[in-house]
Amino acid sequence: MAAVATCGGDAGSAGSAVATASKSNVTSFQRRGPRVSGTNDSGPRLVSITGTRPSVRNGQLLVSTGLPALDQLLGGGLAVGTVLLIEEDKYNIYSSLLFKYFLAEGIVNGHTLLVASANEDPANILQELPAPLLDDNCKKEFDEDVYNHKTPESNIKMKIAWRYQLLPKMEIGPVSSSRFGHYYDASKRIPQELIEASKWHGFFLPEKISSTLKVEPCSLTHGYIKLLQFIQNIICEEGFDGSNPQKKQKNILRIGIQNLGSPLWGDDICCTENGDSSHSLTKFLYVLRGLLRTSLSACIITMPTHLIQNKAFIAHVTNLSDVVVGLESFIGSERETNPLYKDYHGLIHIRQIPRLNNLFCDESDVKDLGFKLKRKLFTIEVDSISL
Amino acid sequence: MTLSEGARLEMLDSLHWGVLDLAKCGDRDGLSIRHSVEWEGRSLLKALVKKSALCGEQVHILGCEVSEEEFREGFDSDINNRLVYHDFFRDPLNWSETGEALPGGPLGALRAMCKRTDLGPVTIALDSLSWLLLHLPCATLCQTLHAVSHQDSCPLGDGSPVGKVHVLGLLHEELHGPGPMGALSSLAQTEVTLGGTMGQASARILCRRPRQHPTDQTQWFSILPDFSLDLQAGPSIESQPHSDPHIPPVDPTAHLTFNLHLSKKEREARDSLTLPFQFSSEKQEALLRPRPSQATSHIFYEPDAYDDLDQEDPDDDLDV
Repeated sequence: MAAVATCGGDAGSAGSAVATASKSNVTSFQRRGPRVSGTNDSGPRLVSITGTRPSVRNGQLLVSTGLPALDQLLGGGLAVGTVLLIEEDKYNIYSSLLFKYFLAEGIVNGHTLLVASANEDPANILQELPAPLLDDNCKKEFDEDVYNHKTPESNIKMKIAWRYQLLPKMEIGPVSSSRFGHYYDASKRIPQELIEASKWHGFFLPEKISSTLKVEPCSLTHGYIKLLQFIQNIICEEGFDGSNPQKKQKNILRIGIQNLGSPLWGDDICCTENGDSSHSLTKFLYVLRGLLRTSLSACIITMPTHLIQNKAFIAHVTNLSDVVVGLESFIGSERETNPLYKDYHGLIHIRQIPRLNNLFCDESDVKDLGFKLKRKLFTIEVDSISL
Repeated sequence: MTLSEGARLEMLDSLHWGVLDLAKCGDRDGLSIRHSVEWEGRSLLKALVKKSALCGEQVHILGCEVSEEEFREGFDSDINNRLVYHDFFRDPLNWSETGEALPGGPLGALRAMCKRTDLGPVTIALDSLSWLLLHLPCATLCQTLHAVSHQDSCPLGDGSPVGKVHVLGLLHEELHGPGPMGALSSLAQTEVTLGGTMGQASARILCRRPRQHPTDQTQWFSILPDFSLDLQAGPSIESQPHSDPHIPPVDPTAHLTFNLHLSKKEREARDSLTLPFQFSSEKQEALLRPRPSQATSHIFYEPDAYDDLDQEDPDDDLDV
């Protein structure tokens, strides 16, 4: 009886202990002493954010760009706090595809998105994201793609010495959905429920500025100031810069800015060589990089550099960004009909890779890369002509 | 080079689709006509305006380069009644300060068109875009044109959709540098560049749809006196100079001092050759499954076809 009573008593106290333990969600043992409630990163437990992994080289936190082949070229992925600048191809077809892959990767990983554009409503951009290929059907489709690609050439394949067979391929097999980097089907749209489940903020320039507002001339174009303020507000409010320590689960903010520098942002860098606002874009990039370095965010920017008249300016912009990738598509050029380039839709140039906390950067050995948009996948391959 | 009948009709249809029936080129349409001194484009602009007016659309003209009388010349009266003409030629800087001049200049007029309340498709013709580009900052002009042509994406407060807006602009190629031309080209959905040979005008139509490959085609045409468009096939074949006579392809392996061709026997021998660094199955197995009883070093010898296996006399193959 006494035992039962003590059991009952113990059960009561144990029950309350269990109740408090489940509230703090850590362990059933209570540590004596003051303890800040809500944080779960005391002790040796590592904070891991979904969709990120540390770099093998220097431990830098990386996110996937949405294209595993591009991740491999950049040394594992895009570092958190850096800017990926994509120099657009002439008709803005493939650069907008890379932009969408980046955003789709954010949705699949559960990151928060911030989409800024001057010519398209961000809600429309999100509707057009590609659908992710998940484990069960993606292996079959990937193999099918590879099979279709390889079959016509197998009978004319040269018998060459063994060394070329050991050349590393850029294409890697599909990975499971819980791992880093996913594959997307460019011909299908992302399911609506994924978009609704995700958290995103949109910045559509014509809505944010009213055209009749009288603006004093200053060093930054009005549109850029508004965008910087918007980004800063989101970072502060949602605690991406660590200013809100009560937040349990840390997350990454993925920022996407489309067509930066085009006349629709109010910048005349594409129209004239030496305009009034010629330093506006460089100042914007400088302030943006400062915002990114102090928060858990990664940014992708597409810029129509083929329209920029001042070529020295492109060098400034390259220096102010971290990773710079240039796309050159063959549409409309004489290379489209050149039989040497028939396997590719264009060339991809890795112009710059950052040296973050490092003395050297993780450049890949191969410089000549071509890309091809197959039926569903966007692949990057070593340009076989240069071998 | 002759065009087959089927191809010619298809090009006619596609020009009708691409130029005259502007609604087919996507919801939003900006069309810029690039012309030069030799090939005049205002008549094409007037032909397109006439076509839009006949389709029942409301047509606004921003006239900056020529006077209203000159623009209306050649149109019959019912078309003239449909055109809404905003005149900026007579008094561009609003010096006469009469009430009839529109406030804000052409930019104000464009912005006013952004806030229109009536539904139905509208065509806005800018005569000319070059004049606007020279008098207004390029970025502001691009933003305003974008806002005007995209207003159908922002419906009115009562939720009813606004009709499609087509913007036609006339651009003088020689007046502008590559910067503004590139900026406007990236903004325009369709770009028509006028050229031609030997008295016949041609239009090179570059149509870029948002997420598809751009299409590029050339169409020969002429404008009749009443500003209707007549599409034609190219100029007659005999008058075209042949640019390259028919050259037979040169065979590079023809006159060499060494032989590059393989006979059938040689080809068979080449296919059956084993490459020097291929692993035999024995070696592969030994590497994959290291046996503990084996010595630490083991030599794998795969004899070549010419190897002599006789250990006794190494000079056996010498012909002495």
